[in-house]
Amino acid sequence: MNALLTVNDVHLAYGEHEVVHGVDLHVPVGPYGLGIIGESGSGKTTIARAILKLHPVVSGSITFAGADVLALKGSDLSTYRREVQMVFQDGDGALDPRMSVLSSVSEPLAIHGIVPKSQRRERVGDLLDEVGLTADLMSRFPHQLSGGQRQRVVLARALALEPRLLVLDEPTSALDVTVQERVLQLVERLREERKLAYVLISHNLAVVDRLCESSVVLYEGTVMESGSTRDLLDSPRHPYTRALRSAVPEIGVHRSALTRISTGVGTSPAGCTYSERCPFALDICRKEVPALLEVDGRQVACHRAGEAMTLPA
Amino acid sequence: MSGPVPDLAPLATSDASIMPGRRRSWLWPGWGAAKRVPLLVAGLVLSALIIIAGVLAPWITPYPEDAGAVVHPTQALLAPSAAHWFGTDIVGRDVFTRVVFGARVSLGIVVIVLVVSAVVGLSIGLAAGFFGGWLDAVLMRVTDIFLAFPALLLSIALAAVLSPSALHAALAIAFTWWPWYARLARGQAASIRRQGYSDAARILGASRTRQLVRHVLPNASTPVFVQMSLDAAGIILTAATLSYLGLGAQDPTPEWGLMVAKGQPLATTAWWVITFPGLAILVTAVAFNFVGDGLQSVFDPKRGRR
Repeated sequence: MNALLTVNDVHLAYGEHEVVHGVDLHVPVGPYGLGIIGESGSGKTTIARAILKLHPVVSGSITFAGADVLALKGSDLSTYRREVQMVFQDGDGALDPRMSVLSSVSEPLAIHGIVPKSQRRERVGDLLDEVGLTADLMSRFPHQLSGGQRQRVVLARALALEPRLLVLDEPTSALDVTVQERVLQLVERLREERKLAYVLISHNLAVVDRLCESSVVLYEGTVMESGSTRDLLDSPRHPYTRALRSAVPEIGVHRSALTRISTGVGTSPAGCTYSERCPFALDICRKEVPALLEVDGRQVACHRAGEAMTLPA
Repeated sequence: MSGPVPDLAPLATSDASIMPGRRRSWLWPGWGAAKRVPLLVAGLVLSALIIIAGVLAPWITPYPEDAGAVVHPTQALLAPSAAHWFGTDIVGRDVFTRVVFGARVSLGIVVIVLVVSAVVGLSIGLAAGFFGGWLDAVLMRVTDIFLAFPALLLSIALAAVLSPSALHAALAIAFTWWPWYARLARGQAASIRRQGYSDAARILGASRTRQLVRHVLPNASTPVFVQMSLDAAGIILTAATLSYLGLGAQDPTPEWGLMVAKGQPLATTAWWVITFPGLAILVTAVAFNFVGDGLQSVFDPKRGRR
């Protein structure tokens, strides 16, 4: 497959505290969706910020279309900024409260000088149209928009540069269900119309299932399982993926709960980061970090990935 | 709008109907918001009257020449009357004329102090908050040094070194006034840098200059503007204090603080010489305070403007 974005063994830290411990991601040229699944604090957003060069990388490499992202400077960086865009979790905070919709959406056009000033208004109208907003919103300010409208304005702004890769950080989590659906439909449509590749960060398995070919399950900054989304959700091999899977409420289906609440920062055991919560953990799990190995057509970091595990009664 | 309307458009329209908000600018929240704060309206009207009086002073005062160095020995210390509403001072000048002209001097001092200290304070504060690191440390320590001195004493010391005049008094006040704006702007800039829209600007490829000018400056300045309106009254009082001590405007400049100082020995015999300029200081300070307090409550996010 033709690689667009490759993240290789990336370690990320806040000060001395490492939060992402060697993550690999692979996104081919679009249309393609890669999902990053994990709970809050798993390092999802920090990875997204690192891809966009908002967070320093301790070690590892990030490559975009053959170029070393971490070394980009000057006009190469400017090109990268055009080709990779991000949609934030919180559409409210991502829009400057002092800027009208017109100013916000036309800002990327002005920065990169790709549309002459006289045509920007028209272009912004087209972009709003594309995300299902009407042009009369142009003179509004963020506080005069609903959450769904703001999220779509953010999307329109990201699309203004016609990026090849979009990083969507929890694009729907702040929205109510009906508005979520509209945003998801929009992403589906753009993906086909624009041949868009994207990294979708979410804790919502249904969203990832719908929009992403492949997925990576992250726990406390470590990849637990990665492979095709279908495989992961239909026949999860890692106990954590299974727990996430069973945590999705489905009417009429019995489910096992996540056994223990995360103990949070600073208590990571010597072995597998998930061993503290894992109902299947053995002594080896607490002593040795399991390698990410090919099992059953996907990659799993679990000492017991090969076994058929059933929950003790 | 051009192009075919996509299938999402009807939904978008229903979205819009949720919030039929009228167009409102961010800079001025509109009369609707202002009217809910009666003090702000009162302050604005009063301030406007004072400014207009100052501007039109040569045309609305009965003896405009009395604002300068003239003496009318035969009319010294006349009590208030139809000819001299506020009476006359020790050299026979019309106090009403001088009080109205005084608005020019006081407002001029306020404008100079606010402009100089806002420009200096915002530049230093925004640079410190936006760039952070060692620049932040250096700039803020310098600011702290200024703040360590009692402001009035520092102004007095500086005014004493310079030759006494209204302009030098204004500069002496500005010299001690800017650190407050620097601190305020620094805090704003540092918090704006952590907002989503700052990240968004970087991702869009905005240069540092663009981020500062287009995003940080506009968002950081509202609290500074509010603080400036609150400070106007304090500046008038400080300027009056310097003049009163003989370190500010000099006779014959019709400065209110100076008029109070000159009239003080006559307080028991010619009360009008000291009372009317004193009232002018009071009314102006109160008017500006109303505006400042009012603006603060209009812009206070807890009032739910956003």
